[in-house]
Amino acid sequence: MAQMETEVLIIGGGVLGAAVARELSRYKVDTILVEKETDFGWGSTKTNMCIVCQGGDTLEFRPEYHRSKLVWDSIPLMEPLCQELDVTFKKVGELALIRNNEELSKFQKLMSRAEKLGLAGHQFIDQDTLRQMEPNITRAAIGALYDPHIAIVDPVRLTIGLMENAVQNGVKVMRETEVLRISREANQFEVEMNRSSVKCRFIVNAAGTSVDKIARLVNSNDFVLYPIRGYVGILDKNLGGLIKHEIHMRPEAPGQMNILTPSVHGNLFFGTIMQPAMRGDCSVKGRIAEIGFQNARKIVPDLSEKDIIHSFAGFLMFRNWEVGWHECVVQASQKVPRFISICIGYPGVSAAPAAAREVTELLRREGLKLVIDESFSPFRKAPPVFNELPEEQQKELIAKDPRYGHAVCRCETVSEGEIVEAIRHGATTLDGVKFRTRAGMGRCQGGFCTPRVVKIIARELGLSEQKITKKGRESQILLYKTKELLEGQL
Amino acid sequence: MKYSDADVAVIGSGPAGMAAAIRAKEEGAEHVLILERQEQLGGLLHQCVHNGFGLFYFGQDLTGPEYGHRFAEKVRDLGIRMLLETMVTRISPDRQITAVNNREGVLCLTPKSIVLAMGCRERSRGQLNVPGTRPAGIFTAGTAQRFVNVEGWIPGKKIVVLGSGDIGMIMARRLTIEGADVKAVVEILPYAGGLTRNEVQCLHDFNIPLLLEHTVTEIHGQQRLEAVTIAKVNKDKKPVNGTEQMIECDTLLLSVGLIPENELSRMAGVALDPLTGGPVVDQWRETNVSGIFAGGNVVHVHDLVDDVSWEAEIAGSSAARFVKKEEMEKEKKILKLGRNIRYVVPQTISAQHDVTLYARVRDMEEHVTLKVGDIVSKSLRVVKPGEMLKIDLSRSQLKQLKDDAAELSIESAKRRQNG
Repeated sequence: MAQMETEVLIIGGGVLGAAVARELSRYKVDTILVEKETDFGWGSTKTNMCIVCQGGDTLEFRPEYHRSKLVWDSIPLMEPLCQELDVTFKKVGELALIRNNEELSKFQKLMSRAEKLGLAGHQFIDQDTLRQMEPNITRAAIGALYDPHIAIVDPVRLTIGLMENAVQNGVKVMRETEVLRISREANQFEVEMNRSSVKCRFIVNAAGTSVDKIARLVNSNDFVLYPIRGYVGILDKNLGGLIKHEIHMRPEAPGQMNILTPSVHGNLFFGTIMQPAMRGDCSVKGRIAEIGFQNARKIVPDLSEKDIIHSFAGFLMFRNWEVGWHECVVQASQKVPRFISICIGYPGVSAAPAAAREVTELLRREGLKLVIDESFSPFRKAPPVFNELPEEQQKELIAKDPRYGHAVCRCETVSEGEIVEAIRHGATTLDGVKFRTRAGMGRCQGGFCTPRVVKIIARELGLSEQKITKKGRESQILLYKTKELLEGQL
Repeated sequence: MKYSDADVAVIGSGPAGMAAAIRAKEEGAEHVLILERQEQLGGLLHQCVHNGFGLFYFGQDLTGPEYGHRFAEKVRDLGIRMLLETMVTRISPDRQITAVNNREGVLCLTPKSIVLAMGCRERSRGQLNVPGTRPAGIFTAGTAQRFVNVEGWIPGKKIVVLGSGDIGMIMARRLTIEGADVKAVVEILPYAGGLTRNEVQCLHDFNIPLLLEHTVTEIHGQQRLEAVTIAKVNKDKKPVNGTEQMIECDTLLLSVGLIPENELSRMAGVALDPLTGGPVVDQWRETNVSGIFAGGNVVHVHDLVDDVSWEAEIAGSSAARFVKKEEMEKEKKILKLGRNIRYVVPQTISAQHDVTLYARVRDMEEHVTLKVGDIVSKSLRVVKPGEMLKIDLSRSQLKQLKDDAAELSIESAKRRQNG
């Protein structure tokens, strides 16, 4: 088994792990990041509403919580970060709908908080203005609190952008690598993993829904986390123009959040219902999906169930009442030196830039030497997205590489060139290609492109199609060759 | 002749596209161009290796590839031009087509007329909202059909099929022949969704259980599918508590409906009928956008390929006449949907020419009378949503229509006695 050494080991390649890796790559620090899944951002990062809290929505968070500070500190960092990483960041603004006086007074409180904090741009808008801004929303709304700052982003693309930039700047990454045991020696850890082991001086535990499990491996039980499952549905792009802003309606029952928002790719997302659930059980429950859709229809009554193309469930980690349900974990272990855990719960994506800086500062306090690496480049170029390019650039691209002229996914118009590029960038599975290129994410959900994408992955990796999986491990797509089951019977 | 100024551009080369292109050429359109995203003509016919194609059109029992081959030969013989591996990405209301391929790059075409023949796609799991996990091993029946019949792979050996659409039943048989164990075909309705002939020849003849009024209520397995829970449903199609049973399986096929593929039509400003999912057309298969015609499964999902070809021929012929600036009778009578009629195509007719109506019922009924206004009254033993009604109306019958609209309806025997 391969034995490696490094200064810092980051456990978890979600948005937080990736943000820390990228932040550390500014310095002359040996860093390895391990991810147990086949690709980055496949845990809570992927099961996401894609909203970046950028203003008034953050006022709902209790100001005394550390989490609020991380989100606020991230506000000025997020847009430049997305620019550096060539990741789409789109300010859509939020409309928090007001249906009665009770809701109005609730939002007035938030508004006065905004003024106190110096967050500019919020305003109450009346029914007529609201109608002009969003003609398709419910007549029950008599006005709204408008927050111009809220944005949307593709969290998996952001994570991949962070990872790729970190790798460019010297971070080593290992996928399909699961941490099994951690033993402490004098001034280092020995971390045993499924395929190798590594000696390191510092550990950043960014293991998402497993963050407490990893902490227990070093007997650092400083925090308790409760998993809460949320549900999100995706609507067909045909409805993309139905709303322009992220729209929030106060839920009628506790444990619900009622949001309808455009995504950066032109779909609408709705969700989310919260319920306690067994960790790892990301199954969508029928009843919950029904409530989620009914709630979305309270915002835009014209939505039809026929337009749901996909739904998924994912986890948010909540703390206990003693520290506050909505508090996050960004801390050095009290018992184990040089061991830092990070888990935001939500909104992990929004808080990631500031959280990564804070983890870096915690590492420094724990004794990590941070020497600026002069060769650090913050810029990363994203692979071309054919569908989003102007015609002239599409022509140039096809002239350079004809595979960009071969459309493989019809719903999202994803070309063979993009799929090959995604594989070159590290995708090895059907879902890997899907999250990097959107092939299979459209309204037919891979009905058309699955056989074609499987073929391309097999060809590019030099493997049999039988070896190609949906999402790594045992998720094989094709189990037998034709006639194979008849062998011996004929 | 350049690609960019075709007389008739046909989008898609399945049974509809080829038939439309051939007929357009035969009707005198000089430059007919087929745009096809795959590497060969034929659309989905390649993967339909079963028989039953052409019984009516050719009076012969052919397989899908054989049926397609006959049309493809004719396309070549007539010198119809084609752009293969070419994906149309946009059609504008003034009939400009943007397409992309790996030879010409981005193409801009300005044909004089367009025939939409994009066919249909399968409903996916996401649209069904089947609860549960998201493992590998869940395929639409058509995707599995491509894997088995074109690519040479069997998705798994313990199969459950959800929905009894035609492709689902055909794949249940196909996988059984391949040695897989098809545990059940699960149908939420009290009757099979597809053709009776497929129910008999694919399920009964192979002893594959058809569980009517059942549905899949949960999907199990983290990596590869491990099992599904099925349950009986009540009259409102809701699962009945206590009837759940778990079936161990590695593969779930979905055959739960087809949706006409009209994203390009929408861009072109073509009005769609929410009941068919396809363009609203007149009897010439012209849409509301002048010069844009449509035929085959893009208009409404047919049971038989023969009807797809016939309908597309109307569209192709009309496109040619449009190019030649021939007058097409535009006096429009609206077809209204009466009792137990889900949809009818075309949605409007002219009363001056013979016409064939295609209609579907909402519910299965026995011993009924099909009526079209006062001019048709026809007794039928049984009507089913899965079997399309075809009604031929002659010009002389149509002349008897008094109003601007005619109503199609299914009258039950009881009503007939009473009234």
